[in-house]
Amino acid sequence: MKQIIVFLLIFANILFAFNANDLERLKEDGDCPKCDLSGANLSGMDLTMSDFSGANLKRANFNNTLAHKADFTRANLSGATFVNSNIKGANFTNTILKNVNFSQARIWKGDFTNAKIDSCNFNDSALGSAIFKGNNLTNSTFHGAILYKTIFYKNIIGVPQ
Amino acid sequence: MKFFILIFVALLSLNASEIRFEHDFHKALQKADKQNKEVMMMYSAVWCPECNYMKDVVFKDKKVADYIQKHFIVLTLDIQKDKLPKGFEYIGIPTFFFINKNTKLEDKIIGGDRADRFLLKLKALK
Repeated sequence: MKQIIVFLLIFANILFAFNANDLERLKEDGDCPKCDLSGANLSGMDLTMSDFSGANLKRANFNNTLAHKADFTRANLSGATFVNSNIKGANFTNTILKNVNFSQARIWKGDFTNAKIDSCNFNDSALGSAIFKGNNLTNSTFHGAILYKTIFYKNIIGVPQ
Repeated sequence: MKFFILIFVALLSLNASEIRFEHDFHKALQKADKQNKEVMMMYSAVWCPECNYMKDVVFKDKKVADYIQKHFIVLTLDIQKDKLPKGFEYIGIPTFFFINKNTKLEDKIIGGDRADRFLLKLKALK
């Protein structure tokens, strides 16, 4: 029985762990396009203008990060958390955003064009001047969010009231 | 004549909670000293939506405006157009500096917030 549990733990670790070289690359270069940082703990880091385009960022922890104008285009952010992060001007174009927690995040001027948004938590976030285009927002929550001059294009489903 | 005076007084009371913004560092300090208040200096820029939100929405909230008027002289400086005083470092805008009459920085708030939460932050300072 013990052997099975150990095997399962090792297997789960292989299956869900990020690539350590990729994390080093991010720390050295400040960029990591197409990287595998799934499950990585990046909380509190300065990721200003970092390039994460096309990266696997499933369940990554971005809580309390400073990531102004970071590029997340085409990245997979399913299960990631951005609680209390400062991601002003970040680009989420064509990203996969399933079960992402953006609560209390500052996302002024964030671009969510064609992002696949599903069951995200935007409660108490600041989304002023952010752009939503080609999204379905019906399963996501926006309680207490700042929606000052937020741009919702006509093709949006479930615009928050 | 009485009617016009009444209208004038009514208009004045309507504007009572409207914040008056100063744009000169030294004048703001002098004014604060005279009124025994601190200076709340806001660094902003016209292209900054968060700064505009603070000016257009948060500072127009009656509770916030009343509290600010009671405790602070508000100085707004555009980081690109105005000459900024030395010794007040910032990494982003809006940044709010709270300065005493000796030009000493007492506190700093980085970033804007919703009116209710911004008021809580102000109350925590003073």
